[in-house]
Amino acid sequence: MRDLFAGLAFFAAGVATIMMARQFPTLPSLQYGPSLFPTIVGVGFCLGGAALAVNALLARRQLALARGTDNAPAPATQRMRPTMVLPPLAVLFYILASDYLGAALTMAMIMLVLMLVRKTAVVVAVIASVVVALAIYFVFSRYLLIPLPQGVLFEGGLPWIF
Amino acid sequence: MDILINGIGLVLNIETLLVIFLASLFGIFVGAVPGLTATMAVALLVPLTFYMDTIPAIAAIVTTSAMAIFAGDIPGTYLNIPGTPASAAYVGESYALAKKGRAREALGINLVCSVFGGIFGTIILIVVAQSLAEVALQFSAFEYFWLAVLGLSCSIFISVGSRIKAFLSLLFGVLLSTVGLDMMSGAPRFTFGVPDLMAGINFIPVMIGMFALNELISYYGSRSEKKNIGIDDSDSVFRQVPNHLKRYWRNMVRGSSIGTLIGALPGAGADIAAWISYGVGKGRSKEKEKYGTGNVEGIVDASSANNSGISGAWVPALVFGIPGDSITAIVIGVLYMKGMNPGPTIFMDSTGMIYALFLVFIVANLMMLPVGYAAIRLSKLFILTPSRILMPAILCFCIVGAFAINNSVVDIWLMLIVGLVAYLLAVNDFPMAPAILGLVLGKVVENNFMSAMLRTGGDLTSFFARPISAGLGVAVILLWCSPLLLRAYRRYRANRAAIAP
Repeated sequence: MRDLFAGLAFFAAGVATIMMARQFPTLPSLQYGPSLFPTIVGVGFCLGGAALAVNALLARRQLALARGTDNAPAPATQRMRPTMVLPPLAVLFYILASDYLGAALTMAMIMLVLMLVRKTAVVVAVIASVVVALAIYFVFSRYLLIPLPQGVLFEGGLPWIF
Repeated sequence: MDILINGIGLVLNIETLLVIFLASLFGIFVGAVPGLTATMAVALLVPLTFYMDTIPAIAAIVTTSAMAIFAGDIPGTYLNIPGTPASAAYVGESYALAKKGRAREALGINLVCSVFGGIFGTIILIVVAQSLAEVALQFSAFEYFWLAVLGLSCSIFISVGSRIKAFLSLLFGVLLSTVGLDMMSGAPRFTFGVPDLMAGINFIPVMIGMFALNELISYYGSRSEKKNIGIDDSDSVFRQVPNHLKRYWRNMVRGSSIGTLIGALPGAGADIAAWISYGVGKGRSKEKEKYGTGNVEGIVDASSANNSGISGAWVPALVFGIPGDSITAIVIGVLYMKGMNPGPTIFMDSTGMIYALFLVFIVANLMMLPVGYAAIRLSKLFILTPSRILMPAILCFCIVGAFAINNSVVDIWLMLIVGLVAYLLAVNDFPMAPAILGLVLGKVVENNFMSAMLRTGGDLTSFFARPISAGLGVAVILLWCSPLLLRAYRRYRANRAAIAP
């Protein structure tokens, strides 16, 4: 069932890729322009996606035939916990908040939340997230000289260490 | 001779040796924690190597990957959970031995086989790469085009599971590689008006998204882990090793040979090498019935194969710039950043860089003995490392690492988007290795195709006009027809069997 959707998604992506590739300029002196490879990829997406979807449909039909009836319940797929959205949300939070809060504080907040979600003892979580955030901040900004955002919240730095 | 001494000097200095030592600790740690793979270790390492000299940077990657592949056996033995996918083939055997109270013995033989496999692969690398490079010097755009296509095709046909999915995953990578200004016309493709994308997709954030963020999402999507070790490990690490080696040295050599070969094929890495070597070993064993009950023979075969695969993957990477697995795909990116362009000319360079590189392999693999021994004695400590504290730290490291390459927020977005797509693909059983090969080789295929066409005025038959190019072209076509040919052959055999009385 999932393969059916994946196949259809790839088919749609293929169509979109081909449409976009058609807008690329062509050079009169060359037979093969910038649109050639994206178009090949697009066609490949369409063919592969279609094959995946058709295979999934065939497999489903065979399964239904083997079971005898069409309305038998489908086998339960393993369910993922809703906390799986946390890592992407954390990255998003960093992108949006680090300019204001500063990299070190943002990272500490992200880690604290993620640790507490997995039922870490509060004291351990607070200490670990602060220590690790400061360690990463110092390694990257002091040792590797990466301009990590300092944040405007504390006017360019936490007074006692930065 | 001067070059050789130069090369040795590049490795045997305090900085490089310290990097090797630290990288070996990092590699052991990452490998021994289930859910962190060797590829992820290397991807996380790249932002740091960016600020090192070339040889220490490469040393860090070589050491980390070799150690992580060995250390993957530690949770495999104690928990029946492979620490990295490359250990999956034989966790059953190691765990069965551990339940009999022979955990350290199993890990001891694993360690020795890993070291042997790694050094075996390195020797092949030294011998073969030099002579291949002389052939490769005559290659032009036509040959490189076919080589890259062959590499991409291998990644589809050697992958485990659905070929359609491998194909789609590959195309996803190729599509990413087309982003940026077109080489011929200078027209922007798929940049969506973002100036940072003009120069093309940055490789490192993609790797971090694909191999680290993806794993983090699945970790937070999974149920809480419970680790109970009910294994008694009071036996000796090395006492039984000489006996086993005396009995199974043939398996060790065979496993290492298979591993190097599979590793050298583009797209197939240590995990596939271990599976195939384990399968071959089982097929040819005199004691098949012992497999699955804690048989040292299976461990010897597969454990030497996965480490030799790591070394073997460097052969095509160094000689042709075509990665043998996802780790060398990252390495190629690092080499370009360091101005050490992979290709046959790397062997002609006069600064001893290539000797230094070979020596790094030997030192890293030898370092595995003491560090690995200590790791075996401390196994339980690694396994009990709480993932709930580790994983958030890795997430922050991913964010900062992706940012650090160009100091650009666009790269964090890139990591996020690729990580989400990779997660969706991975839960639907799409393999990741073809995508990363597509990203690396997509540009090689396109650039060589375009420059060949420019040279011949668009004559497609010119791809078969030179002997080596034609040979490679035929190999690609045969590979693509191989499923049909195999099916036809099976039908032919079945028909003959039916006709014969």
